[in-house]
Amino acid sequence: MTLLDVDSIYKSYDEEEVLEDVSFGLDQQDVEVIVGPSGSGKSTLLRCMNRLTEIDSGEIYLNDDEIHDLDENELRRRVGMVFQGSNLFAHLTAQKNITLGLREVLGMPAAEAQAKAMEYLRQVGLEDQAESYPAELSGGQKQRVGIARALAMEPELILFDEPTSALDPELIGEVLTVMRDLAEEGMTMLVVTHEMDFARSVATRLMFLDDGRIVERGPPEQLFEDPREDRTEQFLGELADIY
Amino acid sequence: MEAIVLQSNDWAFILANWEQFALGTAVTILLTITSLVVGFVAGFPAGAIEVYAPGWLRKPVSAAGVILRGTPIVVLIVLFFFALPIPQLGTFIIIDAKVDAFIVATIALGLRSAAYQAQVFRGAIQSIDEGQMEAARSVGLSKFQAIRHVIFPQAIRRSVPGFQNEFTIVLKDTSIAFAIGLAELLTRAEQLYLQPGHDTAVVEVIVTISVIYFVLTFATNRALDRLEQRYAVPEGSG
Amino acid sequence: MADTVETRGTAVGRVSGSGRLVVALVGGLFWLWLLARWAYHNTLLDRICTALGLPDLIRSEYGVRRREPWLPAEPFQSAADSIGSVPPGFVFDRIAGVFELAAFATTAGPELAAGAFITVYMTVLGMLFGLVIAVPLSVARVYGGRIASTAALVYTELIRGTPLLAQLFFWYFALPLAGYFDAAGFVGRNGIPRAAVMVAVVAFTINSSAYQSEYIRTALESVDEGQLAAARAVGLSKGQAIRHVILPQGLRYAIPGWTNEFIYLVKYSSLAAFITVPELFRQARNIASDTFRYQEIYIIVGVFYLLLVLTIALAMGLLERTVALPGVGQPADQN
Repeated sequence: MTLLDVDSIYKSYDEEEVLEDVSFGLDQQDVEVIVGPSGSGKSTLLRCMNRLTEIDSGEIYLNDDEIHDLDENELRRRVGMVFQGSNLFAHLTAQKNITLGLREVLGMPAAEAQAKAMEYLRQVGLEDQAESYPAELSGGQKQRVGIARALAMEPELILFDEPTSALDPELIGEVLTVMRDLAEEGMTMLVVTHEMDFARSVATRLMFLDDGRIVERGPPEQLFEDPREDRTEQFLGELADIY
Repeated sequence: MEAIVLQSNDWAFILANWEQFALGTAVTILLTITSLVVGFVAGFPAGAIEVYAPGWLRKPVSAAGVILRGTPIVVLIVLFFFALPIPQLGTFIIIDAKVDAFIVATIALGLRSAAYQAQVFRGAIQSIDEGQMEAARSVGLSKFQAIRHVIFPQAIRRSVPGFQNEFTIVLKDTSIAFAIGLAELLTRAEQLYLQPGHDTAVVEVIVTISVIYFVLTFATNRALDRLEQRYAVPEGSG
Repeated sequence: MADTVETRGTAVGRVSGSGRLVVALVGGLFWLWLLARWAYHNTLLDRICTALGLPDLIRSEYGVRRREPWLPAEPFQSAADSIGSVPPGFVFDRIAGVFELAAFATTAGPELAAGAFITVYMTVLGMLFGLVIAVPLSVARVYGGRIASTAALVYTELIRGTPLLAQLFFWYFALPLAGYFDAAGFVGRNGIPRAAVMVAVVAFTINSSAYQSEYIRTALESVDEGQLAAARAVGLSKGQAIRHVILPQGLRYAIPGWTNEFIYLVKYSSLAAFITVPELFRQARNIASDTFRYQEIYIIVGVFYLLLVLTIALAMGLLERTVALPGVGQPADQN
């Protein structure tokens, strides 16, 4: 069943075309990894999905609702996001980072919100850090709290914006493990990342974006083994050398 | 340096008038508190307006801030004293200070402080990483909710050193209410050594009030340091 | 952050682009007028011009109250009267009020200009002498031994912990500094200021030295530690290293704080009025008690201070950019 349907969207900043005629669809439980050189529009594409960035033209449907007809806050409740820099609320403990949205957006009673926060912290393996402030957590732990914060809103789709690229190498694994578990549980995910092992083993589909256009899109094994476009082959080859 | 030989009967004069110093100190502390409250109540929204409000609201607020920060406090005090239509309201009991002068001083010191507190608060808001707002909006909080629950709590904590600074500035500047004869510490000090036959006590009187001011600023600074440490949140990259 | 420096409030604030143009224009005209007025009544210039055979060019012999305004008050007054006589209404009354204020300002001009002269030179002298004390004071705080740094700390804490007005009273009434200056015998004549002015300069010097030393101390502490180590490594003594490496960097970091302090002192020099110094605020006070137009004269003098403060802020901003080096003392956002 189609969960997300992106139909010919365009976005430009100051005459500079960032997204050009981008269309794609996600089914429920899909995990799509977006790759592409820096400046190719990956982050912008992701941010258009929860309207942190507004598109110039085109249509985006989330479970048959055009997202621009939805209330912004309602949309964002339904589409979670995990940031590169985690962006945990610096003045709140891990647990309260999660309960804030539950209490204020969903209007959940305090006790229920706390229980729920603990449940998701347990899911990412951090129930013992519930009372820690962001500054007291490692980079990997922060990202896991960030994931729990997004999960707690029970979104239909989660966006991951380079969730591991600001991390020290030894911390990347714990975050990817959590994401892998999520995928196995059937969460629909749209992920910008350079982690090719993750893409290969977890993604249902891989999208190669360059210059604001989708160059190629398909199952990961096809793009890795038998790309149709030279640019895809070249880029994935370079990535493989680095990572 | 014969002039500053401290005479024991002058110290006796000060001891005999300890009540005047106590009352003056009370007025000084009261005026500091009322001014800071006015400053916070007006300065906090003004700071937020300078960041978030549209031009028609932001421009007059920031212009008022420039005027208040660019004019000497003594000019503000005397101007308000003559320009504001505040009736003579008699004197406060016990502390024996004129009510109208106290109100004028509170408004002048308070508004001036508001202009500075707004700066402090505005700077704190702007120092908060943009990602905080984005993350808040991403879980579905409205802009207003995000400001209220995510931006303000962090901005207020970061403002504490600035507010602390403001505290000592206002405390010291209460002495300028001398210009309108409000019976705070400095005014009462002058009244003491202007008494016939006690002009030799000038040194002792001024040293005494200086010590009082110093103890007040020092004590509040230490107390606020403590308070800040107690309520501090571990800071660092969020 | 237990060790925050007490600043005296941040500077007046950022004036927006178009506002800055207005400040530059109005402020420029204001300073032109001030400088002309000062020159016209300057004793020293009068002597020079008289010696050059132009005895009437400069009129320093006129007492402050005999000086004539250069701008006529009549046009403003008649404008005020004519607007005021049209239908009564809030807006018209306000406009008439502004013209009336302008008329009053022209007649008060000569006295206010004379006051502003004292305000400006007291401030400048206080700042400069204060800096002379502040630099060694801050070096003692940061690099001095235990005794030197404690002594510097006690000095700054005592000065910063008491009101400036109390300090002025102390120097003027309690410690009769004015008497000493008078006894020295050369004050108050031939263009040399009166004793009270000197006392005020002493008070401002000492007061601002404490605050300036705090600004410089934090600036010094923000210079990378590796700089001192590198300087020592090339064989400079500690004194040489501080002199040639740390101070040139640190003093640049200190400029925004210095601007704050300058502006602070311009405003707070008004307190010298209470020890009889005939500076800007005291002139206004005298005019008020002669004319009973309290509200108007205090608005006018407020505008005078505002113009002084805003033009100084603008000029200091230019200075900051002029002495900036790439990568050193990036002027922190000083708002």
